[in-house]
Amino acid sequence: MNSSPQVVHQLGGLDETSEAQVAAGGTQVPLAQQIAELWAEHLNASEVGTDDDFFALGGNSLTGIKIIDRVAQDYGVQLSVRDFYLAQTPARVAELIEQGRAVA
Amino acid sequence: MRLTPGAGRDIDLDSVDLFDLDLYTSGDPHPIWDVMREKAPLHHQVLPDGREFWSVTRYEDVCRVLGDHREFTSERGTVPTHLGTDDVAAGVLLTSTDPPRHTEVRRPLGSKLTARAVKSWEDSIRGTVTRFLQPALDGETFDLAEKALLLPAMVTGPLLGIPAKDWEELVQLTAMVTAPSDPHFLQGSEAATLAISHHELVTYVKDWVKERRASGGEDDSLLQHLMSVRPGGEALSDEEIALDGYSILLGANVTTPHTVSGTVHALIERPEQFAKAQADPTLIPNLVEEGLRWTSAACNFMRYAVDDVEIAGGTIPARGAVVAWIGSANRDSAQFTDPHDFDITRSNAKRQVAFGYGPHFCIGAPLTRLTLRVFFEELLQRFGSIDLAGEPEHLRSYFIAGMTHLPIVAEKRLTP
Repeated sequence: MNSSPQVVHQLGGLDETSEAQVAAGGTQVPLAQQIAELWAEHLNASEVGTDDDFFALGGNSLTGIKIIDRVAQDYGVQLSVRDFYLAQTPARVAELIEQGRAVA
Repeated sequence: MRLTPGAGRDIDLDSVDLFDLDLYTSGDPHPIWDVMREKAPLHHQVLPDGREFWSVTRYEDVCRVLGDHREFTSERGTVPTHLGTDDVAAGVLLTSTDPPRHTEVRRPLGSKLTARAVKSWEDSIRGTVTRFLQPALDGETFDLAEKALLLPAMVTGPLLGIPAKDWEELVQLTAMVTAPSDPHFLQGSEAATLAISHHELVTYVKDWVKERRASGGEDDSLLQHLMSVRPGGEALSDEEIALDGYSILLGANVTTPHTVSGTVHALIERPEQFAKAQADPTLIPNLVEEGLRWTSAACNFMRYAVDDVEIAGGTIPARGAVVAWIGSANRDSAQFTDPHDFDITRSNAKRQVAFGYGPHFCIGAPLTRLTLRVFFEELLQRFGSIDLAGEPEHLRSYFIAGMTHLPIVAEKRLTP
């Protein structure tokens, strides 16, 4: 319920390289940045940073449902509901997508 | 929270924090509400993060706030956990919708849940309750509060159309909604816990509907009924079905268990009341009403003032949040003589407002009353005595007053 963005400890396996990878459409926009843009669209925010906190941005389960659907559609990865909300930042959601692709 | 208040103490109403979760886990809110009713029937609190809310604690004021949607709207949210964030489901979720739309949708739903309609479930409920109670009589310690969490799902599962394999998961999710910071239910942060549980519950109902549409199957269940009603001539949207289904699951699961364990606890503490009920089973319906009053599992609901409004000797400004403390209203001495006495023969116990008041009065009340009556009929017929086998533990929530653990040992009744 606290409204200040939180610094979140990184999950094991997460490193800076994921941000620099080439994204789905062959563009050079890092995946984390693409996710941040997707969030901005669904959260009616003008700008979302890759380390911004989902809940601090006003995110809730109804926006979460839409975002997870979009990720499945655009990236072919079905995120686990729990993982998505516990990740809480675009950077870490991007990491989940990478992991999902690696498994697939 | 403690249901039998401890000794009175000096209370400084200016420094009282009604959202302090420790107050409900290990503290004693009733002496605070007693002072609020007497000295500050309209109480104002500002939280450390700047959010503020007003509280009403008297019976008549609680009824007015819950009962008059023109002065106090539900359309910005009704659960204090979400104070300050307008409800994203306003006007779609039935509990966050004001009349006239509320009335239009509620009427056809309620028709499946009237006392007459639920009466046909009595035999099946009795079977469920008997199976539920049986293990408590094997002589071992039985954690009633923990086990009771599953009881509403066992009773309402078949009625809703939800298979037994899903009950435990749904019960876990509904518990997360009501006590997101209780260590039993917390996942990451409080916000994450709420979002995960909302998301998975809504998705569960959506998938249920999708599957049912695909298979073309039909049954007599309540979820099926949600799909077929046509309030105002139009079917409910998928989102309305999902959210109202969620709301019905929640309403059933998170309150009844605490009324069961809180009432049994009151009877353990007062063997003379237990003996009285056992000697005269016709007292059981009134025992149920007194148990509802005593436990007030839905501790409060929130509304927002539409305009500046005069109440309880003060003014709530337009758009201000007001919390109506049901747990306090049910202990108002202006309504209930010696309110902190648990008395199964109390003549006006039925005036309790544990199910709320007004347009949003609990749609499941007839089913709950039936279930509780059957529960206590079976309990009193089978159990000769009940004792505590450990310390009760209370739920970490200011929204739901309840228990997480109530270890008991019971002895079989020899001559019914």
